[in-house]
Amino acid sequence: MNRRFFLKSGSIALASVGMSLSAPGFLQRAALANTGKTGKRKTLIAIFQRGAVDGLNMVVPFGEPAYYSMRPSIAIPKPEAANAESAINLDGFFGLHPSMAAFKPLWDSKRLAIVHAAGSPDNTRSHFDAQDYMESATPGMKSTSDGWLNRYLQSKPDPDRSLFRAVAISPKRTMPRALQGRAPALALANLAEFTIRAGKSSDNLQNGFEALYANKVNDQLTNTGRETFEAINYLKQVNPAQYKPDNGAQYPRNPFGTSLLQIAQLIKADVGLEVAFTDLDGWDTHVNEGNSRGQLGNLLQQFSAGIAALYQDLGQRMDDVTILTMSEFGRTARENGNRGTDHGHANAMFVIGNGVRGGKVYGSWPGLKSDQLYEGRDLALTTDFRDVFGEIATSHLGNDAQAIFPGYTLSRKNFKGFI
Amino acid sequence: MELRKIVALLLTPAILAGQILVASGQKRARTAELTEQQRIVHVLNRLGFGARPGDVERVKAIGVENYINEQLNPEKISDSVAENKVRDLSALNLTTAELYEKYPQPGQLLRQLQARGMLPENLADARENRVKGGANANPNAGANVGEMPKDDSKNSPAQPPANPLENEKYRELIQKYYRDNDLQRPQRISDELQASRILRAVYSERQLQEVMVDFWTNHFNVFAGKGADRWLLPAYDRDTIRPNAMSKFSTLLQATAQSPAMLFYLDNFQSVSPNANANVNRRMPLFRPQPQQQQRRGINENYARELMELHTLGVDGGYTQKDVQEVARCFTGWTIFQPRGGAAAANAMMGREGARQNAGTFVFNARMHDDGEKVVLGHKIPAGGGIKDGLMVLDILAHHPSTAKFISTKLVRHFVADDPPRALVDRVAATFTKTDGDIREMLKTIFFSREFNSTEAYRAKIKRPFELVISAIRSLGADTNGGPGTHQWIARMGEPLYGYQTPNGYSDVAESWVNTGGLLERMNFGLALANNRIPGTRVNLSKLSGEQSRVMDEYLKNLLAGEVSSATREALVKQLDQSDPVTKVVGLILGTPEFQRQ
Repeated sequence: MNRRFFLKSGSIALASVGMSLSAPGFLQRAALANTGKTGKRKTLIAIFQRGAVDGLNMVVPFGEPAYYSMRPSIAIPKPEAANAESAINLDGFFGLHPSMAAFKPLWDSKRLAIVHAAGSPDNTRSHFDAQDYMESATPGMKSTSDGWLNRYLQSKPDPDRSLFRAVAISPKRTMPRALQGRAPALALANLAEFTIRAGKSSDNLQNGFEALYANKVNDQLTNTGRETFEAINYLKQVNPAQYKPDNGAQYPRNPFGTSLLQIAQLIKADVGLEVAFTDLDGWDTHVNEGNSRGQLGNLLQQFSAGIAALYQDLGQRMDDVTILTMSEFGRTARENGNRGTDHGHANAMFVIGNGVRGGKVYGSWPGLKSDQLYEGRDLALTTDFRDVFGEIATSHLGNDAQAIFPGYTLSRKNFKGFI
Repeated sequence: MELRKIVALLLTPAILAGQILVASGQKRARTAELTEQQRIVHVLNRLGFGARPGDVERVKAIGVENYINEQLNPEKISDSVAENKVRDLSALNLTTAELYEKYPQPGQLLRQLQARGMLPENLADARENRVKGGANANPNAGANVGEMPKDDSKNSPAQPPANPLENEKYRELIQKYYRDNDLQRPQRISDELQASRILRAVYSERQLQEVMVDFWTNHFNVFAGKGADRWLLPAYDRDTIRPNAMSKFSTLLQATAQSPAMLFYLDNFQSVSPNANANVNRRMPLFRPQPQQQQRRGINENYARELMELHTLGVDGGYTQKDVQEVARCFTGWTIFQPRGGAAAANAMMGREGARQNAGTFVFNARMHDDGEKVVLGHKIPAGGGIKDGLMVLDILAHHPSTAKFISTKLVRHFVADDPPRALVDRVAATFTKTDGDIREMLKTIFFSREFNSTEAYRAKIKRPFELVISAIRSLGADTNGGPGTHQWIARMGEPLYGYQTPNGYSDVAESWVNTGGLLERMNFGLALANNRIPGTRVNLSKLSGEQSRVMDEYLKNLLAGEVSSATREALVKQLDQSDPVTKVVGLILGTPEFQRQ
């Protein structure tokens, strides 16, 4: 049975009433997915820091005197060898928040790049609008119906039609805006519980539900039902409960760590994963943000430890994986009256992978003096986030990514060269 | 049949006749009408949480129009069954101050007792151990927004590893302390509040009232996990949302603006004019802020922005960043007396009286207020207005055409279709303007509209998880205590009550709810309910007996008004030769595409 024949019969099975793709067939197709003639499959892992992380305390411009005068109670001290609460020096001007020590080895081995003063040119300070704009990648345009990661999938045909081509893993179980759209994607909370749970009757009842959703009615509900059972049947083969991370990776024992672990699991299962998405909430630090310790530090610790574990676990596979982090906007350069920060403008993004030219902070630095601030209060923007997305998309797709960014002209000369 | 239609038309209030004329004059595509039976099912689904066995017949007997009018006047409906069900949820009848006393957060209570030298010695020792390295000190365990902000300094990433033994001992001692002093854990408040919502939705005869409580609770979303909001939410449900769910929008808006729950959630309680009297703390000791806030308090725009973006005008409603700043100035001083309960618990332990009964209530603090002149959406707000500044802002917003449109759009989306028919939105907005934002009148415009009573709207909405759970329990005639077993399923399907973190509230369109993970959990919920695997909820499926296919049809009638595709029916018939067929068939029906719709 050759590959072409197999795919053809697979599509027949998918289309026929009452038939979910049989597990062995799907496994075989999935196994083939990584050996296509288009070369190795690239995977993008997008991580959204919802709530607007304070980029100035995440990647600290300790070389900027204004940083310290504007943040009397929440500034991170300049790097000092003996002080574990001081910034982790990166290049003599920028430093990482001290709770992000897990990122330092990635920086040192040049696998981690930072783009600072990046973000959306739209000046909205609404979380919802700004997240919407970043996930649709069309700032200022509310009518865009699909997300940029979905258009990324649409822009490249997938002859393998992997069910796991795009997966969002998050306790929310909702499809993030970035992945909404025509190209199929899955939203899961947890791989292990992703099944019909009825004890001894499970198989029998699953058959019953599959029949109910096998109707030819072409509506969102029944289509989603059919996809659900294809995914269930495949996951039964992978046996997610038995997963052991490689290379001694230790994921944080929290929902974020669990989500990342499961992304690694899907990548290693060679199921054809091209886009993975997860998010971490709680960055809206209006009150008592903390400095080296506290609310923001705790979150940054989770965030960096989780991503570092993912990197370690994936090992050599990071050659074909890029991790990209984003947040809807930055926060005010000055701390507010509640030892927190309010909604701001530009922010910092991380790009991690073996194909990344890391160990460098990209983007021009606009400065923090009063007259350098955006609207007199926020870090100004020097890199449009679409140029960061676009550079990665271009690198992964191996061709023009223009179609992913309607209303915006991608230009290689705007790319930073981090990948 | 014809006669019946004519009679129905004759009985229809004049407003409907008027709208039909308007609609026909607008040269619209004609839509098929619902049968009487369908209209009843539709009304029971949309004005309520689905039909219980026998409800369709009851509504038929009194007439669907009469039923709608009854539902629009909930105060006239006797509701003893539901009231009895929630009577034992004692937390819900307490004032916020009493909740702070009886349901203290362990850490906070112990700190206060310690500060007064009142901490029992063994507990003090255990506490020391815990703070040094107990498992609760794990920085990741509670690092989400849900933590009380004042605890953050304790969640240091540099904590030593956990010591489960010491921690276990500490937990036991605390449990004993709570028992000995007749205290309860704060989680209990959230449990009881969720239970009350579920019990009322299942048992109340005032179904529309409960739908509107759900609607406004979501529109004016507050997250229980934010700081003191867990303690503030019972009053929010009881005193803010419930009494105003069908009043004037302006009344409801003002109630939310002055609710401690919202003031805390969107940070307004600590928004202070930068020019406020520097001696505020010394001269007004009752308003002494928490130690970490003592310096450099300032203005906070969070409430001002969400008030316009999400509560009234909508994001494209025509306001600017400057308006946000001006509105924030107007609301400085709208705050909470002892927002975190102050020393309520410790004072109670020591038998101290005083002003503590007012802890956690709204207060206007003139000394925090920016009393200069402001301009909001082009309206001048004169200097020296005090609390009137905020009231003027609310008045401007509640009478703004953008608000009429925004609220009408959300109501029509909720009651009619994900993509709200434009013409109906315009008519509801006109009602809003004409009646000074009378919610009942807007609902009337919707319920007697052609669009609401059209085949396009029939079963066109996907139930949200709360609606799915309640409708499943109701249509099976099941009994529930509304306990954590049900909360967990609602959460698992993606809609934890009071668990939505951001102020926009849960989405009201199908796209957000129809996804593989959510759909699978819906099927699993159906199986769990039919198999009596949800603690605190009991369904008696053995009531029906006789020939199996007739039993199945009886359930299809109760659950789906008998309206089921032939393919679905065939798939179900195949289950009848299995063991335990009734349970399986009911579980499957709850998971059908048809049951996800309303």
